[in-house]
Amino acid sequence: MATAADGRLQGARSASASSFSRARSSPSAVLPSPRNPGVKLGPNGATFVSSGIPDLDRILGGGFLLGSLVMVMEDADAPHHLLLLRNFMSQGVVHRQPVLFASPLRDPRAFLGTLPSPVSSSKEHRQRETTVDHNQQDQEKGLRIAWQYKKYFGDQQSSQIHNRDVKQEFSNDFDLRKTLERQHVQHIEIMSIQDIPHLTILRDRCSNFLSGLPRSDGGNLSAGRIAIQSLCAPQCGYAEMDWDLVAFIRFLRSIIRSSNVVAVITFPTSFLSPAFLKRWQHLADTLLSVRAIPDEDKDMAKLLTGYQDMLGLLHVHKVAQNNSQVPTVLEASTFSLKLQKRRYLVLERLNQAPVEASSGTSYSTSGTCSGPSKGSSLDF
Amino acid sequence: MAESISRSLRDGCLEGEHAPALTIEDSLASPFGSHVFDHFLANLASQIADGTSQARGLVLVALNRSPSFYIDLLRRKGVDASLVDKWVRILDCYSDPLGWKNRIPPLTNVQKPSTREHVSFFRDVRDINKLLSSVLDLGKGFVGQGKTRFAVAVDLVSNLLRHTSLPSVAGLLNNLRSNDQISCIFWLIHSDLHEPRVSAALAYVSTVVASVQPIMQLTDEHRSRRDFLWLQKNSCKAKFCVRLKRRNGRVKLLAEELHMDQVGVKFAAVTSENSFVNKSLLPKVQFNLQLSDQERVDRAKVVLPYEHQGNGEAIEIYDGRRSLSDDQKDPHSVQPSTFSATTDAQANSGNGEIHYIRDSDDEQPDSDEDPDDDLDI
Repeated sequence: MATAADGRLQGARSASASSFSRARSSPSAVLPSPRNPGVKLGPNGATFVSSGIPDLDRILGGGFLLGSLVMVMEDADAPHHLLLLRNFMSQGVVHRQPVLFASPLRDPRAFLGTLPSPVSSSKEHRQRETTVDHNQQDQEKGLRIAWQYKKYFGDQQSSQIHNRDVKQEFSNDFDLRKTLERQHVQHIEIMSIQDIPHLTILRDRCSNFLSGLPRSDGGNLSAGRIAIQSLCAPQCGYAEMDWDLVAFIRFLRSIIRSSNVVAVITFPTSFLSPAFLKRWQHLADTLLSVRAIPDEDKDMAKLLTGYQDMLGLLHVHKVAQNNSQVPTVLEASTFSLKLQKRRYLVLERLNQAPVEASSGTSYSTSGTCSGPSKGSSLDF
Repeated sequence: MAESISRSLRDGCLEGEHAPALTIEDSLASPFGSHVFDHFLANLASQIADGTSQARGLVLVALNRSPSFYIDLLRRKGVDASLVDKWVRILDCYSDPLGWKNRIPPLTNVQKPSTREHVSFFRDVRDINKLLSSVLDLGKGFVGQGKTRFAVAVDLVSNLLRHTSLPSVAGLLNNLRSNDQISCIFWLIHSDLHEPRVSAALAYVSTVVASVQPIMQLTDEHRSRRDFLWLQKNSCKAKFCVRLKRRNGRVKLLAEELHMDQVGVKFAAVTSENSFVNKSLLPKVQFNLQLSDQERVDRAKVVLPYEHQGNGEAIEIYDGRRSLSDDQKDPHSVQPSTFSATTDAQANSGNGEIHYIRDSDDEQPDSDEDPDDDLDI
């Protein structure tokens, strides 16, 4: 673990030294494809791995930061956190990254049978990516920002467009209807956390996993993934040991920080007391929450477009910023989970349904709308 | 809606899924939970007896009331006694849950209680694993191995929580739910006896949560005035709120009214005086500023109100006077297709329209008067 820490520090040092000079952007443009497509280098010495959902990677500014702790707050009514976990683990399998999966199920291997298999990006997806990136590129050129660091981001984007194939490999689309074959998921380490009386067993397992990871040498970055499902589910033996749970999360966060592993923990919020819920939220580097939507809700169907296709809502509370002081400000923090063609998980911004000019007053009652509540009917 | 719950209990679970689990919760303000439990129990038992349900038998864990009460109940509700003997097994955790009778020296002239064949005693409620295995053994005993399933009903989980911790009870219910041989499971709890996290934990484990709530909420004013109206209203009626977790990941919230009478509970649709307010959990919503492909095509098809259409016509500068434009170009027209006489069928085949009113028409055209003439020097 010490050598892994050294390797990581060295990488960070060299990256940060070069980020202040023009030459920093050239290595990423010169290398046509990094040796490990599963790991992407970002600004300020950050390395990202994909979350398995391309939209989520884009929203979070590159993906899950290696060395960070991602926590997902579950909704007691809906199993959407499992979708996130499935995509996360499948992405790890595709990139041949070691994965540790802990779950309160009696037999976690049953869950591994539901991991989706990757689909080769079709032309449609490529076109979608192209138009988005071109818009951004045009905007960048048109604005001519005086901020001196902006040109480095611009270079990164152009290099991304050149390496279109590499970008596609970083995060795959997963077909939720097809499952990964058994031989691929054999390598995932699993652990059942239902019957363990206290958390030291889980702690030891995580430490062993981290020490068993291959060292990252030179330019070949490796990554590992830890996925823990429903950490404080009520049926687990340790579920009422609140302080022990907090201590475990702090331990996990500290050992991950100096390693090349990203950990995703999902937990049910209804079972925690409010004080501990706040503690858990503060311990997370990246905090997401999934929420269920009511069924056959006419008001919601009128308010939002695409209500029929929505599975649920995803809210981004916090985005990891381990290596930088600049906070990530998102334009929108709530997204709807949808299945495109009933297969691919996509995240979309919530869009208000077009309003009739005559019935414009229906929105003045909902105080949660940001802009439209001021102007009821729209006249051009 | 209570019918839909009975139906879902009857249908049981699909292959590869966990069994549907119903939590019935009530409180002191509306103490009808036991009656609701009896209602569902009797329904399920009669469906098992008829053979219409997926479950082929019922195991009842009796913690709150004696087994004889249940047998009388089922008989009262019209379930055939012989079928009760055949398809219902009761685990008696009521008579001697902690095994005390074994510890005291036996009294000489005490009558041995008549043991019935379908009631088995359970003396160690603190041991959850033993309870789990007893339930499963009882079920397997009369249903057999193989694919047949049986239903489980737990009378009062609150009593179980008295003896053991919440994680073990939640683990027991979860294990029962995920067992292959269980068709459906339901239980009753008095929610005001426990901390909120207990209700949250049980709601997490179950698929349907039915809570019995008072029709009129109890306020301090009521308490001080010993409001008999409130007592009277709440003594025979209650609100029955159901929270269903559907398979597509959405939540359904329903409400009904519950009436108590001599026979039992009756469910009726909610009356308008207590409308169920649906909490909308909406965040900030933006307008969609992107155009869809169809919208882009429509936009490209619209003819724009420029004088110079770029198709070789003479340029006419419009200076605000209607008199200049005689044959073509009526700029007040809403339909842009009348702009140029040479417009072909390309105009307005989509849904794009431009509503255009020139504001220069509001001004009066320059008169020939010299405004300096008004000066009277």
